[in-house]
Amino acid sequence: MSEFVQLIVSGIATGSIYALAALGFTLLWQAAGVINFAQGEFVMLPAFGMLICVSFGMPLWLAFLVTCAVAMLVLGWGFKVAIVDPLIRHGVIPLVIATLGLSIAAKSTVRAGYSALAFPFASPFPEGQFALAGVTLSYADVGTLVLAGGIVVALQAFLNRTVTGRAMQAVAQNADAARVLGIDVKRMVLYVFLINAVLAVVTALLVTPTYLAKFDMGDAIGQKAFFAAIIGGFNQTRGALLGGVLIGVLENLVGFYVSPEYKEGVALVLFLFVILFKPEGLLGRSEERKV
Amino acid sequence: MSASFLEVNDVRKAYGAIRAVDGVSFAVGPGDIVGVIGPNGSGKTTLFNSILGQIEPTSGHVAFCGEDVTGMSPLELSRRGVGRTFQTLQVFGQLSVRDNLIVAAQEFQGSLGARLFARPDAGLGQAADQMIELFRLQHVAGLPAGRLSYGQQKLIDIAMAFMPRPRLVLLDEPCAGVNPSLVDQLRELLVTLNREQGGSFVVIEHNMDFIMRLCPHVICMVEGKVLARGAPADVQSNRQVLAAYLGN
Repeated sequence: MSEFVQLIVSGIATGSIYALAALGFTLLWQAAGVINFAQGEFVMLPAFGMLICVSFGMPLWLAFLVTCAVAMLVLGWGFKVAIVDPLIRHGVIPLVIATLGLSIAAKSTVRAGYSALAFPFASPFPEGQFALAGVTLSYADVGTLVLAGGIVVALQAFLNRTVTGRAMQAVAQNADAARVLGIDVKRMVLYVFLINAVLAVVTALLVTPTYLAKFDMGDAIGQKAFFAAIIGGFNQTRGALLGGVLIGVLENLVGFYVSPEYKEGVALVLFLFVILFKPEGLLGRSEERKV
Repeated sequence: MSASFLEVNDVRKAYGAIRAVDGVSFAVGPGDIVGVIGPNGSGKTTLFNSILGQIEPTSGHVAFCGEDVTGMSPLELSRRGVGRTFQTLQVFGQLSVRDNLIVAAQEFQGSLGARLFARPDAGLGQAADQMIELFRLQHVAGLPAGRLSYGQQKLIDIAMAFMPRPRLVLLDEPCAGVNPSLVDQLRELLVTLNREQGGSFVVIEHNMDFIMRLCPHVICMVEGKVLARGAPADVQSNRQVLAAYLGN
């Protein structure tokens, strides 16, 4: 029983990391109609950013803050201005192609400029384990759960309980009406890109100690985040949370009770079932579009 | 009408050879309610869109309170006190009725920092509750707007336009799809808002009874042009207007 609880806690911790990246997917889609297939690389680049800062002697927390600032500028504002704004008026497909290209370019640049090796990355949490009610838990799992959970709760509170958050929801639901009501739609969309950049840095901080900093580390995280967003419902932020946690927990259970070899296929199988039987996602809602 | 406040001067909007709006001019004074009628396709909504900067007029000028606002964005016009409603519903379906009303006015409150750390209701809770009471929506105030009936959503849509206390509101077919029992309530509400907030309205509507009882001044548009204007009874009895509606 204690093994089972341990697997669940560890699965929720891993799933909350997927959920953070998936949240970025859903926020960008809702606010700007953008599907960012470079989301995995948006996690990989800050991991290397923090490594560079640490190599200059910065403590990890300072490296994290500096990387957050740079990511907001480059992966938030820069991505919006240089790629999304010029292409968005041409529809979704050019943006999909552009973000796929960006993903390849980011990986190739890091491999050429840094190396193809995997680099160790310090965990922000202490090593070791502790026992709680007969269940052995690692500090890393609990720390990940608390940090990721805290960020998700804070983000939900921001969206639901602040004036700006509510305006962002309004823009996501009906940008034309929001514009007529005096909401600065461009500014709200920019906030979403900035939030996505910060979520990517936090994901990098949490995931890199396990995945190691490598040019292709974003492939797995980006793919699972995308599946998580679809499974939960692409048009619901809480859907991304559910999808992420579901994948994390099921991966752990399948890896332990069935075979570690099947672990990586869990997200894909779940994704296929959802696409076949509930294409709007577990918490998503069907959307009507005028034709 | 009193001294003009919105001036629409020789506005034209063409799509290739089609003249959707063809040299329309009119003026609206403070506190005026002006009705715009005309058969489908006569250019009424295109005229609204041209006034509100949602499309750029091919030529002509729009002035609001003496300032040339031609081609100005809806955002800039909104901040000058110009609001509108659309033919189709434009409520935020997943937000509650109360939050819809708050979001409709909150961007007028304070700086970026103030908005980030402001009270969740942006200090607009009381105003939203008053509007909810005025529109008799108390029993559904906490429900997501998307779950309500079409007529109730239409009322929310209109209430939202008035939340920022605009100086001018352009209402595009407020009665469309509304249960006849709500039409009288809607007219009374608009009269009350006109009296209490002192705003001016321009109303596009096909419901002649509604227009004739609400608007002291009516403009009839046909094929992008103003065919007749004046008191409701005069426009209604105008032979050209009757011919445009009923055919020769």
